[in-house]
Amino acid sequence: MSGNDTYIRRMILQAIVYGIFAVIALRVGYIQLFDSKYKSLADGNVLRYEVLYAPRGEIIDRNGEYLVQSKECYDLMVTYRDIGKQGFDTVRLCELVGISKEKLLRVLRDARSAPRKATLVAAFVPTEVKVRLDEYNFPGFHSVYRTMRNYPRKIGGNLLGYLEEVNRNDIKEGEGEYKMGDYIGRAGVEAAYEKYLRGDDGVMILEKDAHGAIKGSYMDGMYDTLPVAGKRITCTIDARLQAFAEELMEGLVGAVVAIEPQTGEILVMASSPTFDPDELIGRERGNNYMRLLRNKRNPLFNRAVKAKYPPGSTFKLVQGLIGLQEGVLTPAQAYPCHLGYHVGRISQKCHPHASPLDLRNAVAQSCNAYFCYVFRDIIDNRKYGSVKKGLEVWTDYVKSFGYGRKLDSDFIGEGPGTVPTREFYDKRYRGSWNSLTVLSLSIGQGELGCTPLQMANLAATIANRGYYYIPHIVKAIEGQDSIDRRFYEKQYTKVDSEHFTPIAEGMWRGVNVQGAGTSWRAYVPGLDICGKTGTAQNPHGKDHSTFLSFAPKDNPKIAISVYVEFGGFGATIALPIASLLEEYYLTDTITRPHLIETIKNFPYNPRHYAE
Amino acid sequence: MLNSRKKNQISLFEGVDSVAVIIYFLLVLIGFVNIVSASYNDEIEAFSFAQNYIKQIFWMGAAFSVALIILLLDSRYYHMYAYYAYAGGILLLIAVLLFGREVNGAKAWFEFGSVRIQPVEFAKIATALATARLMSNYSFSIKRLGHLMRVAFIIFLPLAIIILQNDTGSGVVLCSFIFVLYREGLNKWICIPMIIVAVLFICSFLFTPLFLLLLLLIIFTASSAMMIGSWRMHIMFLAAICLSAMLLYGLSMFVFGGTLSGYASLLIMTIVGVVVAAIYAFRKNIAAMFLTLGIFIISVAFVPTADTIFESVLKEHQKVRILSFLGIMSDPSGADYNVNQSKIAIGSGGLFGKGFMEGTQIKYNFVPEKHTDFIFCTVGEEWGFIGSMIVLGLLCALILRLMKMGERQEEPFSRIYSYCVAAILLFHVLVNVGMTVGLMPVMGIPLPFLSYGGSSLVAFTILVFVAIRLDASPRKGLMSAVR
Repeated sequence: MSGNDTYIRRMILQAIVYGIFAVIALRVGYIQLFDSKYKSLADGNVLRYEVLYAPRGEIIDRNGEYLVQSKECYDLMVTYRDIGKQGFDTVRLCELVGISKEKLLRVLRDARSAPRKATLVAAFVPTEVKVRLDEYNFPGFHSVYRTMRNYPRKIGGNLLGYLEEVNRNDIKEGEGEYKMGDYIGRAGVEAAYEKYLRGDDGVMILEKDAHGAIKGSYMDGMYDTLPVAGKRITCTIDARLQAFAEELMEGLVGAVVAIEPQTGEILVMASSPTFDPDELIGRERGNNYMRLLRNKRNPLFNRAVKAKYPPGSTFKLVQGLIGLQEGVLTPAQAYPCHLGYHVGRISQKCHPHASPLDLRNAVAQSCNAYFCYVFRDIIDNRKYGSVKKGLEVWTDYVKSFGYGRKLDSDFIGEGPGTVPTREFYDKRYRGSWNSLTVLSLSIGQGELGCTPLQMANLAATIANRGYYYIPHIVKAIEGQDSIDRRFYEKQYTKVDSEHFTPIAEGMWRGVNVQGAGTSWRAYVPGLDICGKTGTAQNPHGKDHSTFLSFAPKDNPKIAISVYVEFGGFGATIALPIASLLEEYYLTDTITRPHLIETIKNFPYNPRHYAE
Repeated sequence: MLNSRKKNQISLFEGVDSVAVIIYFLLVLIGFVNIVSASYNDEIEAFSFAQNYIKQIFWMGAAFSVALIILLLDSRYYHMYAYYAYAGGILLLIAVLLFGREVNGAKAWFEFGSVRIQPVEFAKIATALATARLMSNYSFSIKRLGHLMRVAFIIFLPLAIIILQNDTGSGVVLCSFIFVLYREGLNKWICIPMIIVAVLFICSFLFTPLFLLLLLLIIFTASSAMMIGSWRMHIMFLAAICLSAMLLYGLSMFVFGGTLSGYASLLIMTIVGVVVAAIYAFRKNIAAMFLTLGIFIISVAFVPTADTIFESVLKEHQKVRILSFLGIMSDPSGADYNVNQSKIAIGSGGLFGKGFMEGTQIKYNFVPEKHTDFIFCTVGEEWGFIGSMIVLGLLCALILRLMKMGERQEEPFSRIYSYCVAAILLFHVLVNVGMTVGLMPVMGIPLPFLSYGGSSLVAFTILVFVAIRLDASPRKGLMSAVR
């Protein structure tokens, strides 16, 4: 072996040593300095982001009574990776939580595909169960504090709305506000005031060891945030009155809306049939929801703000007001009525009553013929040149009362109703029509469609003699001095205040003067109730029964509209409900229990809703 | 003579290579710091004997004492008692095979109370001494087949016993002696095919037996040609085997209806070729060719049959580790778990690391064996790239220093021994750090000086300090001193 050969061999061996260390150093440098995935993997190993869910804001009624409370509950979560090889007692877990083994296995299968992520096993685990779960300490399982809704009075299903887990769309539109597993208000107050009620979730970053055991907070909680509870909402609703309204409407299909005229605050908003809001929370939610969806009477449909009902005779009030404003009618003007209004082949029937009648008595008696005259005088007014122009003017007036458009209340999903326009008739009759063609509008029939909220708003407008406040459902938000500005502004109609007096007096006569009108059954001594019945014909069956009312006549405290589908005469069913509610609201007493009996025993089985 | 003796007694540390000693102490100290961090158990007292790092203090004390004793002893003893040490080492290995305690599937431990000793660590020292002794003989020539066979016997005897103990990882360390053999003049065309065969063995699952056989044929024909020359003859030989194999395959296809597969045909022709080559070598008296043929036959016996060996010899966890390393099998929560978690721990360290006792992956037990075989994870996570480079730099410096120390010896025994130590250390670092960063399959061997464990610390201390002692002795021939 020559010296030169030895030298080469030494150099080669040195090169091998350097080479091996260089490869190792490059590899270490690569994973430490250039490949950033290991840092996030390390965080994923150690850190657990625990959401601290904010308790959702509670909802109270105008008198401070709870409508919706937040109750503590827990979400049971599982992190598949932390279960460990030895497993756990599945039977005991299922028994404790009250889920089936199949469901648990399904959850575990899902969890397996994302082994590091916490997967929901069961929601709405009550505190007692959570405590027992903690005792057993199932590996990989942990519970997360949530709140669930609780309804002490079990009223106002459609009014309050309900919560649902957010879907993909909500998360996208929420722009980071929502994450999977969050709840969002879906209807009613819950949806309308979502951003106040939900609060802000906090986050707690924890460190855990290889077995999933919590070892303490990350960086001493430097990056943790505390949850901010949702705001408490004070509703304009009077819970006792709402409960009474729902009780009276039980078994009937329709809606009751009551408004405080001086403020526009909604005192009652009852859509019937309603549902127990407790049914739409917890684990039975899905089944209950499907059952409600399948119900032919459609309890999930909020009739109070969405239905389009023909207003019937209650619309005669608007007709009279427009006539007075247009100058085609004076309160003293009398028209004859011979069981109706007859022109050629066209006729509008009426019930027997004294004839002729002036405006006040015509309102009280709800004379059809009288308002046919008034309506034709309005739209056939020579100064507009044509009936079409006349109808445009008329439509403008009607819309100023809040009909045919959304009232812009704070209630999501409020319907606009319909008020037919000139274009509508031009299209339907190919341009050839006149005041007789659309005569049914004069008594609130035909193409008119109003929501019960709009009708109650009319009652409030007449109670206020010419203006209304936009009806709203929320009185105050915790931490805020006022609600939206628009609810403090008087909304005037196109009819001057002075014209409202004779109409209001007519409504008073109908109730308080025996024999002078259709509404005398609503009479309560000393309350000065003013009212107007309505009996709306409809193509689906029996007439709809409606009653529009406010009380007392001077300085009114409550304006109300009751609508009962297929209820027959306005005086039969809608009237006693309205009268009882007004009496209860104003005096806190019920002096006519027999009326309640009558309502409860009312024979009611509309064919339209037959199964 | 007297004078020099006196000198030795006056200054105990005269001639001791201070660089190597300093590097050694730095590595042990760094190791201790990381063992504290990796094995701290907050459920028991900080200074309880149940804490691993307290035990390590005792082991360090033992190691330092042993180092001192080695420096005190006359350097001649290592040469004199090399074969006795080897015999002792083999006896220990056999004893542990019979009476040892099984830990993690390997029957490789003696247990005395709470203290466990792994004889394989000491067998390495004995083998290194015996190899050095044998190869430093005046008459020894690595070019002679018989002498080479003796070296191979010395290396493979302990290896075989260690494999029987089911501690393959520790045994394979001895293969690193090829590094020494190369330094001492072994033809590189024996070294290179052997390294390739080792790689092929691990990767044999990726190829078909036919392809492997063909590959082996090409490799060994080429290496033989490189050694002997006469390229044309070797190419003709290779072509003849391939063509006749194809002919045989075709013949069996058309005449006998496909009784022979392609692999069988090639195997038959290969056997014929080997016999022909052996006769040729015998007649021409070419010793190098016998060696190549021998290694070739062993390779053919092992590599294409690796599947069978794999199934029967390797244990389940070893199979799984190799398969997952080769990417044939992936199971992040099972076999890959160790390596994945180890990479995560090191990778999350970044440039400066997370700081002493701050490594979350270590602290919260995501890395298994974090204070023993995976101690480098602790270094990587808590001290970052800079800490890792310091540790690797020190290890690299120590290995190079040992090689340098070997080169400056007049006496072949000291040189060969130094190279053996360097080779063992290099292999340990490559495999241990390589597995923590996913470059190597998982083999349970410790990182020298850093890993927790008494046997390994004391054994590596002996290994290195014997080399230092040999280096420190007056640079005279040992034999003359005896005389």
